[in-house]
Amino acid sequence: MKETPDCERASDLIAFLYNEADERERRDFQLHLNECGTCREEVASFGVVRESITAWRDEALAGFVSQPIATNRRSALAALRQFFDLSPLWLKGVTAFAVLAFCVLAAMVFVNSQSGNVQVSSSSNGARYTQDDVNRMVKEALAKQENAKPGVETPRETVAVVESPKPKKSRNSTASQLAKRPLSRAEREQLAADLRLLSTGDDATLQLIGDRINQ
Amino acid sequence: METLGSDEIIVERALTGDADAFGELVRRWERRIFALAYGMLGREEDARDATQETFLAAFRNLRGFRGEAKVSSWLHRIAVNQCISRQRRTKVRSESALEDEQENAACSFAAPFSQSPAHVAEDRQETLAVRRAINSLPIDLRQVVVMKEFEELTFREIADALDLPLSTVKSRLYTALKQLQMRLQKFESRN
Repeated sequence: MKETPDCERASDLIAFLYNEADERERRDFQLHLNECGTCREEVASFGVVRESITAWRDEALAGFVSQPIATNRRSALAALRQFFDLSPLWLKGVTAFAVLAFCVLAAMVFVNSQSGNVQVSSSSNGARYTQDDVNRMVKEALAKQENAKPGVETPRETVAVVESPKPKKSRNSTASQLAKRPLSRAEREQLAADLRLLSTGDDATLQLIGDRINQ
Repeated sequence: METLGSDEIIVERALTGDADAFGELVRRWERRIFALAYGMLGREEDARDATQETFLAAFRNLRGFRGEAKVSSWLHRIAVNQCISRQRRTKVRSESALEDEQENAACSFAAPFSQSPAHVAEDRQETLAVRRAINSLPIDLRQVVVMKEFEELTFREIADALDLPLSTVKSRLYTALKQLQMRLQKFESRN
């Protein structure tokens, strides 16, 4: 059904009604309204229709709630907080214990991985020593004994016996040369005395197999 | 309101693989597209479905958008087509169904404290009458009046979205308002 406008200025009427006429067109149509009763009536009645449509639109769109397209990513802290809020007390306790145990284990693994040298001994009071510590202590002990007995030659090759498999290069070459040479009797006695395996009184009667081999 | 230029940038971002860009476009336009669909279809459920279908179709045809028209016009065109095809697929609600709904609305009415029950019932009757009047308009008139009144688009925007001359948009809107005026007068005279 096509409604034929009673006035030829229907297009101007629509532009005026929806405030899409420019200032000049608006003034011009205002003057026309003073003279045209049909347009005056239509502007009034169309205004009522628009109010009714607006009322329906507001009612219809009032209940519109935007559906979330994508939920925002929550932080790990927020997720943990929600988990603890929702979980029962026993679950909180178990979780806390598990986290604590995990932290302790992780710390132990970390400490072990950080200590590069092998721990070779422990004393009764819980102190632990590395291979370097042992070597250093042996050297110090030997140096003390050397000072106490200036006439006796301290066998330097004992250092090579207790040193780690891969000592420094210069020291290693000297020690290897000494190790290839057979020990003299005086050296063996000194070594035994140092290690306190034999008493000096038994030295004279002791028949060592090495003596024959070394001769 | 966001500038229309921003919509084009959002579409470009979506085309380059930005996963959030299309979501931004939906958030920006979904209310207006829903309003258009509601005005065209007259039912909230249908309007929601048509809105979803509109954005789905837009997403599928994103690469077909060549930037010759504004994104808003492109979306509105898709929405109008979705509403029309939806009306063709499903039976348009009959007058009796609308009257049933009218009775149900009256039964489920709960009066706010600020208004008397009689007043609220009267308003509801009036909005139902408007809805029925708009639903009874031919589709070419309905889409123009809904785009103007529900979405508050300019004549130029409607013309671009529907690919019509500006003068046709104005004449259709005049005709639509004239028919609505007559239908509402009939309703008032009956009551």
